[in-house]
This record gives sequence, structure tokens and C-alpha cells, in this order.
Amino acid sequence: MASLFKDPAKLSAYRDRRFSGTQEEFEHALQTSTTIYIGNMSFYTTEEQIYELFTRAGEIKKIIMGLDKNSKTPCGFCFVLYYSREDTEDAVKYISGTILDDRPIRVDFDWGFLEGRQWGRGRSGGQVRDEYRTDYDPGRGGYGKLVQKELEAQRQLVDYGTGSLGAFQPVMAPQYGRHGGSHGHGGSHRYGRDYNRKRYRDDDRHVHDSSKRASDHESRRNPDSRPEKNPRFRESGDSDEEDEDDRKKRS
Amino acid sequence: MSGWRSLLLRIGDKCPEYGTSSDFKDHIETCFGVLRRELEHPENDILPFLLECSEQLPHKIPLYGTVIGLINLENEDFVRKLVEKTQINFQDALDSGNCNRIRILMRLMTVLMCSKVIQPNSLVVVFETLLSSAATTVDEEKGNPSWQACADFYITCILSCLPWGGAELIEQVPEEIERVMVGIEAYLSIRRHFSNIGLSFFEDDGETEKVSLEKDFLEDLWDRIQILSSNGWKLESVPRPHLSFEAHLVAGKSHELGQFSCPDLPSLPLSAILYGKQKHEAELKYPQRIHRLNIFPPNKTEDIQPIDRFVVEEYLLDVLWFFNGCRKECASFMVGLPVPFRYEYLMAETIFSQLLMLPQPPFKPVYYTLVIIDLCKALPGAFPAVVAGAVRTLFDKIADLDMECRTRLILWFSHHLSNFQFIWPWEEWAHVLDLPRWAPQRVFVQEILEREVRLSYWDKVKQSIENAPGLEKLLPPKGGPNLSFGTEDGKEKTEHALSVELNDMVKGRTPAREIISWVEETVLPLHGLQGIRVVIQTLLHIGSKSFTHLITVLERYWQVIAKVCHDEDKQVMLIGEVSFFWKNSAQMKAIAIDRMMGYRLISNLAIVRWIFSPENIEQFHTSDSPWEILRDAVSKTYNRISDLRKEILSLRKNVLLAEEDAEKAKLELDIAESKLTLVDGEPVLGENPVRLNRLKSLAEKAKEEVISVRESLEAKEALLARAVEEIEALFLSLYRNFSTVLMERLPEASIARTLGALKSAHTDVMAVDFAESSRMELDDENGRPKNSQVNGGTIANVYNAGEKEQWCISTLGYVKAFSRQYAAEIWPHIEKLDAEVLTEDAHPLFRRVVYSGLRRPLD
Repeated sequence: MASLFKDPAKLSAYRDRRFSGTQEEFEHALQTSTTIYIGNMSFYTTEEQIYELFTRAGEIKKIIMGLDKNSKTPCGFCFVLYYSREDTEDAVKYISGTILDDRPIRVDFDWGFLEGRQWGRGRSGGQVRDEYRTDYDPGRGGYGKLVQKELEAQRQLVDYGTGSLGAFQPVMAPQYGRHGGSHGHGGSHRYGRDYNRKRYRDDDRHVHDSSKRASDHESRRNPDSRPEKNPRFRESGDSDEEDEDDRKKRS
Repeated sequence: MSGWRSLLLRIGDKCPEYGTSSDFKDHIETCFGVLRRELEHPENDILPFLLECSEQLPHKIPLYGTVIGLINLENEDFVRKLVEKTQINFQDALDSGNCNRIRILMRLMTVLMCSKVIQPNSLVVVFETLLSSAATTVDEEKGNPSWQACADFYITCILSCLPWGGAELIEQVPEEIERVMVGIEAYLSIRRHFSNIGLSFFEDDGETEKVSLEKDFLEDLWDRIQILSSNGWKLESVPRPHLSFEAHLVAGKSHELGQFSCPDLPSLPLSAILYGKQKHEAELKYPQRIHRLNIFPPNKTEDIQPIDRFVVEEYLLDVLWFFNGCRKECASFMVGLPVPFRYEYLMAETIFSQLLMLPQPPFKPVYYTLVIIDLCKALPGAFPAVVAGAVRTLFDKIADLDMECRTRLILWFSHHLSNFQFIWPWEEWAHVLDLPRWAPQRVFVQEILEREVRLSYWDKVKQSIENAPGLEKLLPPKGGPNLSFGTEDGKEKTEHALSVELNDMVKGRTPAREIISWVEETVLPLHGLQGIRVVIQTLLHIGSKSFTHLITVLERYWQVIAKVCHDEDKQVMLIGEVSFFWKNSAQMKAIAIDRMMGYRLISNLAIVRWIFSPENIEQFHTSDSPWEILRDAVSKTYNRISDLRKEILSLRKNVLLAEEDAEKAKLELDIAESKLTLVDGEPVLGENPVRLNRLKSLAEKAKEEVISVRESLEAKEALLARAVEEIEALFLSLYRNFSTVLMERLPEASIARTLGALKSAHTDVMAVDFAESSRMELDDENGRPKNSQVNGGTIANVYNAGEKEQWCISTLGYVKAFSRQYAAEIWPHIEKLDAEVLTEDAHPLFRRVVYSGLRRPLD
């Protein structure tokens, strides 16, 4: 409608480095695309929540969760594909900046999903923005990955890494200021719930999965610095191995 | 943005461009001062930008009009061009039926008249031309009264100009304007009262006399203008900056408007059905801009003159319209209108009236959700309380609220709360637990909680209702999928084994065709129907982890399901299995059915059949779940049609283009062929052979292209024809089913001719649970304001409908909602519907709601 306040040249400040074409082609892709990128999501947000919110702009064709390339768990972004351009525009217009799962989410036109774009591009597997963060964000796995590593190193000096399975709360280093115990009510509530589920699921895996691949998989990750697992992403008690497999097959 | 542009854009706003001043006179002088210098550079596109600003920021038109008036004193030629351009735009808008543009350009012309830019007589000619077109339209003999919506719109436009220039017109051309007013009065006496039936927010209890006594939008506006005129045309909501410059402005040369004309309307249809179709079409093309929703009692709302209410509504609707998608500007213009009084209540009523507008709002409801969120943030001290007040009033009247409005309200409110930490004083509504399961207020709360859980998660919502823990009973079940096999002894084991086998095959990536043969050779012969169930449940289970898991399973193994559910009976069974598997998640149930329809594993007819199975019928009045599934099925069918229509439209264009290309190529070839070329000194017909060959092949290709585009057009048209048949079958089946179930449950036609009679039928005839209903009355007296006079009617203060009555009322409400939403698709099939469903035998109440949903006059 109103063209007065819009700068048509400024579609999106973000230019995806992986886009192979020219700037012009990139803009054309954004102007005709029926795909949106959703950012700043909580790691816990499920596809069904996204579905409920985003169908309010129109019929959804597909949802592609952004996954941590190591852990294959959601890492805070996703793509939604619509059938019509009009609905796509409405999703960007009306949903960007509103709250999903207590977080203001960002919704942008995307140039189109391609295989491979579902993986986080950060060194540690998640999104780049979660590498260097120094704040504590309970919806996005706590501290940033670098900070987590540092904290882990400090902790191992103290307790040699034994029995740390339950030590989900990172030890607070004074230079980071905020204390993990003091975050909001909703956050800590979820955190606690999370913790229980995690123990259960980990125990579960120890009992059932003794295959080589699974243990291999297990040893790759450090159980302590790994962000909290997401209880809402998969409902059933199947092993992670299968989840991961499924994800690969699907994409 | 260059200086003059942002000055024009920001004029009248509190903004850095204008420093500390908030005085309109200063703004106009500053803006004019800069513009007069810029006008020396003709390459500046000041003219189109100025018009664009006037059209998209119509609440600033008085300021723009005065600036234009001042320019007129120095640069008559520029302003003459501007007036000409305005007139061209106005004619375009009339021809294309662009309602907002027509209305706003008329306001601009009125204001230009105030600034001495346009001659008052020219404006009167505009009014008279529209008036005479309107009068002809409603004339039974010469015109086509089915297009009254257009005529009413023209008159509304004339009246809408008067707050901006009534005083000036009366002063300068009193006789002429008097003539216009007399003409409008005459028009009002011959036009038909616009009946709001089918479009009102609240059920009017079938009191048709009351409805026809209520003023329609045009009559109401006429009254407001009468009061304005008797007040000497004084009002507070329209700034009149030109008065400060009047001494200068009078020196300007007033321009004349040229000729213009109103487009011709279709001629009068011959049959009543065609008349109804045209009337429906006209009302869609010239919709009433606002249906007023009076939520707040008069003592709460701002005490303003009737005409000021109208003007502020105009401002708000314009901002909503033009700033759709510009969040920041939308919110800041909404709260910063150029009026000297507060208007939060009026603003809330206006936004809610759009959100709930029937048949549909100008934009998707989620837009209004966003606007309300932004206004709550922009006015944190005032607006949230007003919104909460609106919710309380609507909750009090929920039993009378239209079904479609209820659904929108539920979706809006749950979404709104999700943006504000789910905080709501639920204890106020805890009393709904004392109401029966089917009481509309209770269902309303339950559905809000359902949607909240979908947007968030169970524990979070449970935590949010801590101040009314009893409401936990209304939360949806917490569990996930529900995998379970036959309960017959001994069978369970084999079924489990079967399921494990299939599971392993899927894990081992067995191709679909191998699974199909396994099903055909092992499952069907040995386990029959029960085997099919296991296959379906197992596949559902594999796809149960997320939306994407479901899609993946369907993508890979839909053929397996198609094989075992090849006919409608089996499809109905399949839906039943989905419903059983997802009995704890209404959302996943709806998604799974929707996706299966997408894969054409189940037809919309199968869905309708399943919806009208006993397990669903008994939830019609207690849950939105079956309705959600039905809505999805109808909308998917409709989306298919509308996609095809769009594709066909663009293919038609392509055919034309291809034909043009082919003609061009042919022409070029012909010219080349007819040219004489000298070969070996002899003149030969035709150009050099290389070029000729190339042209030949080009012409050939172009011809082939035409054929291929035509073929794809034909293919799409065939698909459309099939889709139209499909939707006709769907509506026939839907209405047949509605008619049957209602006939079975509605009381005899002689007892219940109106909804009102139906509502009181319970207390009159049916057995009543007196203990229950008397307790409810007490609750209501505590909970509701007793004499809330809303929308002119009294509200039914006590909920005392019995289960059966509520079932009928709810179901009829949904019938009306479907009819109204898809009226444009239903009208083309009305003859068939009349012959097969809406016959003499149909229950009169059923017929009534269908007719009112279609906005079809009852005989």
C-alpha cells in the first residue's frame, strides 16, 4: 500500500555469502521468493509452534528447521515455505518482530532453500551468532560456544571431568557478570524440566544403544559443554541415532 | 531523502524536520518556503510526490491543500497541472472502482476548494454527477437497483466531503449545495434500506423488525451531517489551516475541473437469482467501509460529536489501509491524529470492528493483531486496559457473537496473549467451570487455552492460569500420539509384530512398491481390515515426531496408504485412524488430515462424510476441532480453484503475447518472401535464402509456441472445470449433510421459526436442570454489567440454553459462517443447491441462515 515510507532498494540488509549470483539476482530472488527465514528463535521452539503461528499468514508448504551440524538439534533458525507470494509477504510484514516462545523473532525474505542450508554455519555446529555471544541466553543453550568452552576448561581443572553429567549449570566466571541462577522465572522453570528430561533420555540411550555408531557418536561430544537438550523437539523416546538418520534422509 | 520531500511527508507531525514547532501554520510556512524554491527546478518531481502524499496521508489533506493554495499564488501553471492530474486520477479511480481513491480524491478536491484552488461550482458539478448516477441506479425502470451498493457508495462520498468543506460551500454556493442536499434526501427516499442481515456481529434474535428500524450506514451518516449542519458546520476533528492564510489565498486564481463521467453499470438482470448474484457482486466491489461495533457503554467512550466520531474513524481506517506493513508509521499515525480530544476507546472499537468485520476484513486478521500489539506498546498506560475492557465485553456477549467472529476472536486473543507473557486475570473467568460443557463462554475459554498451548507449550500455559487453577480442566490433553492396536485378546501380539516388521522395513529404506507387495501378499490376506489399521497407525507413528517427519513419511509412502485406502469408505476409515492416533492433539489431527488431502489420499467428500459421523456431530457445540478440519478442507478446495484461476489468467496473457510474436514473425517472413531479389541477374521472388530460412524457422517456432501455450491453457481450463465440479459436489454434500443433521435435531418448524424462539425453547418446552440454570443466573449477575446497552440491543443476560438447543444454535452459526465466507463460490451453483437442498422440505431455520449467509433476500 503505502510506498512513501518504504525504501524499495532496501529489501534486506543481510546478504547471504553463500548466494552464488550477483547482487541483482539476489534481489530478484528475494522479490519473488516464497521462502522466509526466521531468526532469533529459541532452541526449544517446535515445528508445530511455528506451524500454528505462521499459518496465520497463509497455507504452509514446508518447514525446515535449522540444525546444529554436530548435534543435529535445532539451533535457533528455520525456513518456512509458502505456496503463494502474497502469504510470504504477509508473514514478513505481520510476524517479524513479534513474540514466539517469549522471544522477538526476525522474519525475512529468503532467496530459497537449498540442501545444506539447514545446518548451522558456526565452528561449533550452531549459528555463527552463538559462537561469540557472551550473554547468558537460556533459550539458546546458555552462554555462547566459546564462553562455554572456556568455562568447561576451568571446571575440568577443578573436578577432572568426573560425574559432570548432572552439572548442567555452568560454573559462573566472575568476568561474565550475570549469574545463571538469576534468570527469569519462565526460563528457570523450563531449565529444570529440561534437566530431568535430559537425564532420562541420556540414561535411556546408555541402556539401549550399544552399537558402535552410537558410542562413536557419543564420544564426539562433550556432555558438559553441550547445550541443554530440547525436550519438545522429539516427543517419543527413540534414540538420537535414528533422529539424526531421519534428518539426513529427509533433507 | 531530500529536504523538501521529508518536509512534505512529515508536515503536521512532531518531528525533527520542523524543530520544536507543532503549530500547523509554522509547518505550512516552512514547507511552502522550501517548496517555492524547489519549484524553480522543473526536474524535481514535486507534483507527483505531493499528490502521492495527499492520497496516502489523507488525514493531512488540509495541510497539503493550504500549501497547494499558497503555491497557486506564485505558480498558477503548476497548480493547474496538479488539478488536471487530480481529475485524471479521479476518472481512473471511478472507472476501476477504486473506492478509497475516489473518496480521498474527493476530499482533496473539497480542500482545494477551501484553499481557493478549485471553483466551488466545479465541486458542485462533481457532487451532482455522482448524485444523478446514483439516482439512476436505484431507479427501478431506468436503472439497476441490484447495484445499489455502488450508488450508496457515491452518496457516502459526497456526504464524507462535507466535514472538510461544508462551511465554505454553504458560504459560497448556498443555493447549489442546498440543491445537492435536497437531491440526496430524495435519493434516500427511493433507495432501499440496506439490511445488515448476515453481516452483523451479533445474532439479532431474528427480530427482523428491529433490524430494519436500525439505521443503515448511509442513513446514519446523513443524520450526522444534519447535526453538523445545524451546528453551523463546526467540528473539532478537521483542522482548518487555510483560515490562517485566507487573506492571501483569496488572491489566487481558482481553476475549473473538466468533464468526467461515472462508469456504466450492467443492465437490470431478468431473474431473481441473477439479481441476487449481481447484488452480491456489487456489494463485494463497493463494500461498506465499516460496520460499527459498539463495545463500550456510552459513558465510557469519549464524549464527542457524532460527526467527529465519523471523521476519526475515517482517519483510523485510512491509516490502517495505507500503512499496512509499515509498523512504526502505522502505530505513530494511529496515536497522533490531528484532533484535540482523546480517542483510545474509539480507536479500539474501530480496530476490533475491522478484525471482526464480516464477511472479511480488508486485511488478514493477523495484521490487526500486530496493530493492537504495537498500540499497547505505544500507549502502555492507556491502551492495554481499553483492550482488556473490549475483551471482557465481548466475552459477556460471546453467546450472541457470530461464529466466524468467535473464531477470529479466539485466534487473535491467544496470539495477543502470547506476545504479553500469557498474562490475563483468568480468575475472572473461572466461573465458566460451573457452566455446562457446551456453554459458549466455557467453549471460548477452552479454545483460547487450546490455541495458547499450540503457540507455546502445555506447562507454560498451565503456569499462566495459576490464578485460576480450576481452569486446568479446560486445557487440552497433555499427551502425545496414541499408538494402540486392537484390544481383542491374543490379536495384540500379532499386530505388534506386524507393526515392528513395517517399522523395520521403513528404517531399512524399503521402497514403497516392496511395502505395497508385502501389504498385498501378507497383511491383507492374513489380517484384513485390522492389518490396514496397523499399517496406517505404524506409518502415522513413524511420522509423529514433527510436522516434517509427517511430510517425509507421506512423501515416501503415500502410495502404500493410497493402496490400502483406495475408495471413499476406506478414506473415511483412514481419517478415523488419524483422529484416533492424534486424539490428544487437535493440531496434529488437523495437520495430518490436511496434508493427506494435499496428497489426495483423502478427498474433501470423505472429510465431509467423516465430519458428519456421530463422534464428530456430538462435538459440534463443544469443540472447534471438527470445524477446523472442515474449514481446512473447504479452504484447500477453494485455494486450488483460485490458484488455477490465477494461472489461467496469466496463461491467457501468454497466449496473446505468443500470438503477437507469431504474427510478427509471419509478417516478417511474408515481407521477405515477397521481396524480389536478383539472382544471376534475374529477378526472383524471395530474399536471400539464408535469411529466408532463418525467418521461416522463426515463424515456425513462434507458431509452435502458440500451440504449446494454447495447449497448456486448455489443460489448465480442463483442470479448472474439474475443480469447479469438485467444489460444487463439496457444497452439495456439505449442505445436504447440514440439512439432514439439523432436521433431525431442530424442533418442529412451527415451534422454532427464529433463533430467538430456539433460544427460549429450552425454558418453555424442554426439560430443564433447574439447579444448574439458577446457579448460572447468579454467576451472570455477578459477572456482567447489568444494563450494558450494546449495539442498541439488550443482551440475553442469562445463559439457559439446553444442550440440544445450543447444538442447533452453534451448528446454524457455522452454516451461516461457511455460506458467508464462500458466498462468491456458492452463488454460481445456487440453482443446483436450490433444487437439491434448499427445497420446501428443508427446515425454515436452516434455509434462513443459508440465505442470510449468502446475503440473499428471503423470498
